Amino acid sequence: MPRPLQLLLAILPGLALLYLSTLLYLGGRPLLALAALGFACLTAIVYLRPRAYTWRYLFPGLVGFGLFVIFPLAYTVGISFTNYSSANLLRFPQVVSYFQNETYLAADIKFPFRLYRTGGEPAVHRIALVDPREPGRFHLTEPLVLPDQAQTVDTTVVDAEALPASQPLGLREIIPLRAGLQNLTLRLPGGKLVTNTGLRDFGPRLPLWEHNPADDSFVNTRTGEHIRPDRETGRYVLAADGPAGPAGTPVGPGFRAWTGLDNYTRVLTDKGIQGPFLRIFAWTVVFALGSVACSLAVGMILAVLLEWKELPFRKVYRTLLVLPYAVPAFISILIFKGLFNQNFGEINLILDSLFGLRPEWFADPLLAKLMILLVNTWLGFPYMMIVCTGILQSVPDTIYEASAIDGSNAVHDFFKLTLPLIWKPLFPLLVASFAFNFNNFLLIYLLTGGGPDMVGASTVAGQTDILVSYTFRIAFRDSAQNFGYASAIATVIFLIVALLSWWNLKNQKV
Amino acid sequence: MSSVSLRSLEKLYPASGKNPPFHAVKGIDLEIHDGEFMVLVGPSGCGKSTTLRMIAGLEHISAGEIRIGDTVVNDLLPKDRGIAMVFQNYALYPHLTLFENMAFGLRLARTPKAEISRRVTEAARILGLEGILDRKPAALSGGQRQRVAVGRSIVRNPRVFLFDEPLSNLDAKMRVSMRSEISKLHARLKTTMIYVTHDQIEAMTMGDRICVMKDGRIMQVAAPLSLYHRPDNLYVAGFIGSPPMNLLRGRVERRDGTLLFIESAEADAVFIPLAGPLATLAASVEGRDVVFGIRPENISETPHPADSVRLTLPVELSEPMGSETNAYLKTGSGTLIARLHNEKRYAMGEPLAVHLNLGKAHLFDAATEQAIRP
Amino acid sequence: MKASTTRRLKLAAAHCFLIGFIALILFPFLMVVAISFRKGNFALGALIPTGDDFSLEHWKYVLGIPYEEIMGDGTVRTVQATTPVLVWFWNSLKVASTASALIILLSGTAAYAFARMQFFAKTTLLKSLLILQVFPMVLALVALYALLQLIGTYVPALGLNTHPGLMLTYLGGIAIYIWMIKGYFDTIPVSIEESAKIDGATHFQAFVRILLPMSAPIFAVVFILSFISLISEYPVASVVLQTEDRWTLAVGAQSFLYEQNFLWGKFAATAVLSGLPITAMFLFCQKFLISGLTSGGVKE
Repeated sequence: MPRPLQLLLAILPGLALLYLSTLLYLGGRPLLALAALGFACLTAIVYLRPRAYTWRYLFPGLVGFGLFVIFPLAYTVGISFTNYSSANLLRFPQVVSYFQNETYLAADIKFPFRLYRTGGEPAVHRIALVDPREPGRFHLTEPLVLPDQAQTVDTTVVDAEALPASQPLGLREIIPLRAGLQNLTLRLPGGKLVTNTGLRDFGPRLPLWEHNPADDSFVNTRTGEHIRPDRETGRYVLAADGPAGPAGTPVGPGFRAWTGLDNYTRVLTDKGIQGPFLRIFAWTVVFALGSVACSLAVGMILAVLLEWKELPFRKVYRTLLVLPYAVPAFISILIFKGLFNQNFGEINLILDSLFGLRPEWFADPLLAKLMILLVNTWLGFPYMMIVCTGILQSVPDTIYEASAIDGSNAVHDFFKLTLPLIWKPLFPLLVASFAFNFNNFLLIYLLTGGGPDMVGASTVAGQTDILVSYTFRIAFRDSAQNFGYASAIATVIFLIVALLSWWNLKNQKV
Repeated sequence: MSSVSLRSLEKLYPASGKNPPFHAVKGIDLEIHDGEFMVLVGPSGCGKSTTLRMIAGLEHISAGEIRIGDTVVNDLLPKDRGIAMVFQNYALYPHLTLFENMAFGLRLARTPKAEISRRVTEAARILGLEGILDRKPAALSGGQRQRVAVGRSIVRNPRVFLFDEPLSNLDAKMRVSMRSEISKLHARLKTTMIYVTHDQIEAMTMGDRICVMKDGRIMQVAAPLSLYHRPDNLYVAGFIGSPPMNLLRGRVERRDGTLLFIESAEADAVFIPLAGPLATLAASVEGRDVVFGIRPENISETPHPADSVRLTLPVELSEPMGSETNAYLKTGSGTLIARLHNEKRYAMGEPLAVHLNLGKAHLFDAATEQAIRP
Repeated sequence: MKASTTRRLKLAAAHCFLIGFIALILFPFLMVVAISFRKGNFALGALIPTGDDFSLEHWKYVLGIPYEEIMGDGTVRTVQATTPVLVWFWNSLKVASTASALIILLSGTAAYAFARMQFFAKTTLLKSLLILQVFPMVLALVALYALLQLIGTYVPALGLNTHPGLMLTYLGGIAIYIWMIKGYFDTIPVSIEESAKIDGATHFQAFVRILLPMSAPIFAVVFILSFISLISEYPVASVVLQTEDRWTLAVGAQSFLYEQNFLWGKFAATAVLSGLPITAMFLFCQKFLISGLTSGGVKE
């Protein structure tokens, strides 16, 4: 006997999904509608069948994870095999319908129109077209509000008596309404479409391309040009040499095409990409290793120092030292961005007044990298300090007492006793920290944005870019928006970091 | 009627991950009478806790049948079996007060408020928990926590109480006093109780009957004293009693017309001439490998009235305990512990003459490990 | 030298080092506080604003209070922020806390199944979650954008440029929290729930009435950790939220520091205003968090 909560959990999402499924179906996405329907069934099964008990607890979490981690992951890997970019943005059917919808205005025939205002706020109008072949016959629309986006409206055939009684609007009144008129397409009996061609007339529009469904090729109805889809490059191209250009000249918008491993091989073969990619990769590794090493060194020194039991005010020191970790990272990073500013920043102000130096923190690649490491050490050492303190406290005091009796000193103690003892629990945390910094997008993007730019790269690439910020810029901050190539790099990054964490997890034997 | 009966009960854990399949309980039959205090005892991994948890309904039953009273409870939920359980780690709800801890089950059963209050107060009175009912478990001592756990069982008015090693987290002193409290509780409530422990002293002092288990099988079910005096097999003989029964491996042989037990040893083998009822038993296993068993208190410095055998063995170690002394005597293959009623300290290697009371000695078949009975 | 003198010297050296280091660490914070009270947006005049340099204009700006500004040519104009920083702060608070609460709901129930139930491929699933989670959100943006666009077509309230839509994308980040909560559940003896079942509780009652109240500390840790990480989340928010009034702090604060339009003073006031409460919350819960950080993220 299902309980109320159980019914609620089964029925509410079920109904919501059914509703969504209907919407999707009506919206012309039958496959997605089917998926939503299947999902609704799954929810019902999980929450009503006693045998699926365990999954009741797992289900919500796994759905969230599937939708927002696994789906994006698979999607990204998927588009890494395509040429998806701003030049190849649309799907193939969208491009086909683009050509199908392209029309031209027939110059030989014109329908003069009359515009009647039939109602108040917002203004309602009726349009009557005079049939040029049969004067006295009119094509009249129902009352309508002139649309602010493209709209097709039906007309009915009437004679002069049926026209609205009011006076048609004059030119002066029509001028401000032109934008609305141009959005209108009127459908005449027989399906012929006419659109506004000026202040006085409507003219028929004819499809420019004739579609051949067999191979999705098109013939231009005016010039007779033949175009065919080239699925390698994701463009329609001229099938033969002609006045518009030689065979193979692209026509119209590009579509997403399956390009296989092209994006991956480009990294290895295209000089304009390979050079910057390898340099960015090297810097990513150097940056991640350097960040871990520097913050570990600082954090460890402080942790050891604060473990000294005779030192007064240890708690106060510790709290103050944790501060950089407590402040949200985006605030700290932006503070540094401002402080390091070459012209207005306080750091250069001080350096200038003390030593007469004004280092170009954001223009000089080496200085920019140094600045990034400095800032990341500042951000990262408190975490290392916390972690090291925790591990140090697990080392029994008695071994230091024993070594003191053996005549050891502090430095010797640290390197010969402490370090070997804490290394084992510390190592997995260092690997995790490396993986984190390998993808430390926030720091790079907010601090330098990857700049200064590399010279001679064929995509946007900066001297301080790490792989993940490079990827982001290729996809979102470059006019080419090369999603395919960005996704290929994303896939590579994912493989590297996933392997690293798999290895780390395995070593911990959890 | 709240007897409990187990028929061919089995528990098989299937292989999971790297763990091979594990046959925890291998078909046991046990009848626990109404009002009886039954103790399940055995080493860890013998299946005693698994058996108890199957009775409670916390483990699925792989095969066999459990009846409580007249009902087969195999497919009943724990709450519908009329049982209450006290766990080893008390399993108190740390975020609830003592009162709420005890009232939890009653509230779930939508018992009227007045009734809850009456039952909890009554249980608190029995267990001496009055006045601290508004505290949380963290503020209690181990003994008090255990009492709350027992109280939580009492308020449920169960037909059967289940105890899963309830005293093993207590210190030695507390354990003794809680032991007698649980015994008193049983005397007072006269409810069936099933008690799991690995501690043979708890088993001996508390149980009406004891069920000794090993490797998922029952070794023997009997009242404490008969278990002590008439062990069915080598395992029970060695498990019950402290120090344990002396067990010597050897053969029964006839030399010059007398039956002898001869220890199997390279040198200095002990020869025990057999007489009385033991000799009659031994006659049936002449020439076979046997194990000779005798409890330390049946080895003394003075002869026993009947059928006693005198042996002289070197002392390996002696432990004066005050009222008595445990003397470890060296035999050819091991030691014999004698519990001597004196306060002497023996020198190492000193030869000591002792008398074995053959009337209380046992013979076991070395191959089957079963006691040799007429 | 006597042992006690050496010791005293060492102590003095340690104090000097620590005080010097802390001064260096705190320098950026103190600077930002000073800058937020300084007139104009350029590093001119004294480091600590006094007298003429002192001004509350940046604070008025971020709080949405109108103030008068003297332009370069001597004219005076009244300035008021179109979107006060407080709106961003509220947006951030709303998004981060709601998403964190939902994350707890999802990861708590999943962790319960992982800790207490047996099911097919449990360990594999748990490890896969952890490994798949390393795929950074930044790299998934194309897909998240497409997903939200699709959802938004049918359910506009969950689409692009909405806060619920942004929260939705954050719900994927639960693997680490499942891991942490499961670790905590593992330390609670199963017998407590078994005891509840004997007392008559169903599975779900034992979970809700016994296990959940006992696990309050770990839920607090998860909530705060998730809250802090979501407050700082920039890439997804910057792509999903398109209009200024919907921005979160991380997106908004960044907009003050374009090289062409360097509003250093206004940024400083924003940083102090938004950084203080979050920092205070962190320090307040520090004890909780540190145990969570050292034991949770990576389980021994």
